[in-house]
Amino acid sequence: MMDMSIEDYLSQGGVLSSPGNVPPRYRAELLKLMATFVDSNLAGAAGFADVINAGPGIKERIAAAKIVLEKTDNADKVLKIMGDFGVDERRYANSHPWAARLERSADIGARRSEHDMRLAVFNYPLEGWSDTVVMNLLMGTAVVVQLEDMAQVSYQPLAEAFRAILPVETRHAELALEGLERLTSEGQGAALQESVAYWWPRVAASFGKGDAERFAALKAMGLRHAQSDAQLADWEARAAARLETVGLSAR
Amino acid sequence: MAKFHPLKVTDIHHTIRDAVVLTLEPEDWSAFDFIQGQYLTFRQDFDGEELRRSYSICAGKGEGKLQVGIKRVDGGAFSTWANEELKVGDTLEAMPPMGGFYTPLDAGAEKQYLGFAGGSGITPVLSLIKTTLESEPKSNFTLVYANRGVSSIMFREELEDLKNIYLGRLSVIHVLEQDAQDIELFTGRVTEEKCAQLFRSWIDIESIDTAFICGPEPMMLGIAKALREHGLSEGQIKFELFASAQPGRLKAPVRSQAAGKAANQAEIAVTLDGATQTISVSKDLTILDAARENAMDAPFACKAGVCSTCRCRVIEGEVEMVKNHALEDYEVEKGYVLSCQSFPVTDRVVVDYDQ
Repeated sequence: MMDMSIEDYLSQGGVLSSPGNVPPRYRAELLKLMATFVDSNLAGAAGFADVINAGPGIKERIAAAKIVLEKTDNADKVLKIMGDFGVDERRYANSHPWAARLERSADIGARRSEHDMRLAVFNYPLEGWSDTVVMNLLMGTAVVVQLEDMAQVSYQPLAEAFRAILPVETRHAELALEGLERLTSEGQGAALQESVAYWWPRVAASFGKGDAERFAALKAMGLRHAQSDAQLADWEARAAARLETVGLSAR
Repeated sequence: MAKFHPLKVTDIHHTIRDAVVLTLEPEDWSAFDFIQGQYLTFRQDFDGEELRRSYSICAGKGEGKLQVGIKRVDGGAFSTWANEELKVGDTLEAMPPMGGFYTPLDAGAEKQYLGFAGGSGITPVLSLIKTTLESEPKSNFTLVYANRGVSSIMFREELEDLKNIYLGRLSVIHVLEQDAQDIELFTGRVTEEKCAQLFRSWIDIESIDTAFICGPEPMMLGIAKALREHGLSEGQIKFELFASAQPGRLKAPVRSQAAGKAANQAEIAVTLDGATQTISVSKDLTILDAARENAMDAPFACKAGVCSTCRCRVIEGEVEMVKNHALEDYEVEKGYVLSCQSFPVTDRVVVDYDQ
């Protein structure tokens, strides 16, 4: 009938719908993208779970518990899709100590750990409630920027999962901003500003270094759309604006 | 991780010259409670090479039966075998239904659905049509069905019957590439332009809630463009790329004639799912094949060194990894290999899939 290679199809905006029709390289990159998301969410939720009790009031503890629940649920949504590719979901979910963190002073840049695919930023430990709220605002804002791109991914089941996850993550960043408002109103500005200084470069690093060749390859497969630099700039603007509303500054 | 289950073939119906509809009876019905539009993945050995192929379910949810449609593809090992050699009474192996080519149904909904099918892309769309018309009594379905000619239309009669059962709720527009029709618009291919013309006079695109497309790549691209152009959002368009991209046959692995000579043997200790098994195998086998030949269910998917599903860690001894498109340098340094691409070098090798 009409012959078209899958590569041409993808580069023209085509959408794939099942593991049976993804080409091998695409599969590897897709699995990697999914593993990064799942690992980051499991690690994020595990780290956050430890902080629930540090919440200064019931409302804060409810918000923190809700975030832990929903991030775990987000991981589950994507892990289910990995399961379609032969990944053993149960084994995967328990394969890493998700709550494990490095030292606060560790300097790993954008490097992943050797054990899992979590973004480097999730290897750093949280230090108490206010530090957690700052991290959650900065990373939550970053995740929204990243999800807006990933929701256009060419693998339809994953795009649908990300479209369902996007409003949930958007809400998490809003909750963080509400938390931050309360903390600044209580005069904790100086400590918060210190946390911003700590987390800002680490969250920024999660946008990657923008390898042009790799970006072109991923774009041709419909797995990436926006450039890392543009995403980073977008995040910087959004995060800085949010910090400003509570009297904090970006750097 | 999905498992394969046995299904008995209880009926084989030839719809058109080169397509069959298989009726299947699973041993375990609970594993095959499908959603309309989903597909089954089968596995079958061809000369010792396992092939996995996915085919869409064409039955409606309310029919109480499990049926898939398989059109013979030139050079396609599985589809040719299913069309020519498979017999009633044979047993197939399939994974539970998968796929997201559907939207949730609601008995009270009043929706307008639009489906596009190209050739055997009709199979999941037929399941959608049957299920939707039955479970949403106030919804309507319009199908644009592209085929080469009248003789290659799968389920032509079945669609006519459905039109009669659900009077006024199902419209079918046949677009034929070769056979001329009364209306010129219905001749040719379903392209972006053709869609735009259909939306002008035959289909009220503004009323459409959800569109489904299943067919070959260029057709999907053209239709999707036209739908977006006419205001449908990404979330309103559901895609199912049919299996044209699947290769017909895997290449047989090159096996050394010297295989089996004692000097060419290696002892491999494989840890998988917490259990360790030591096997004696030819060094011409990959670690993955060696494990699988010895009844270990080692994970694999692409067998091309790219997906990393078959990753394992070499604890002792040395292997040669002939291809690696998936593992990062640091992983390789840690001793990780793609077992589908790795051959034993030393006489003793210890690998672990659990690490």
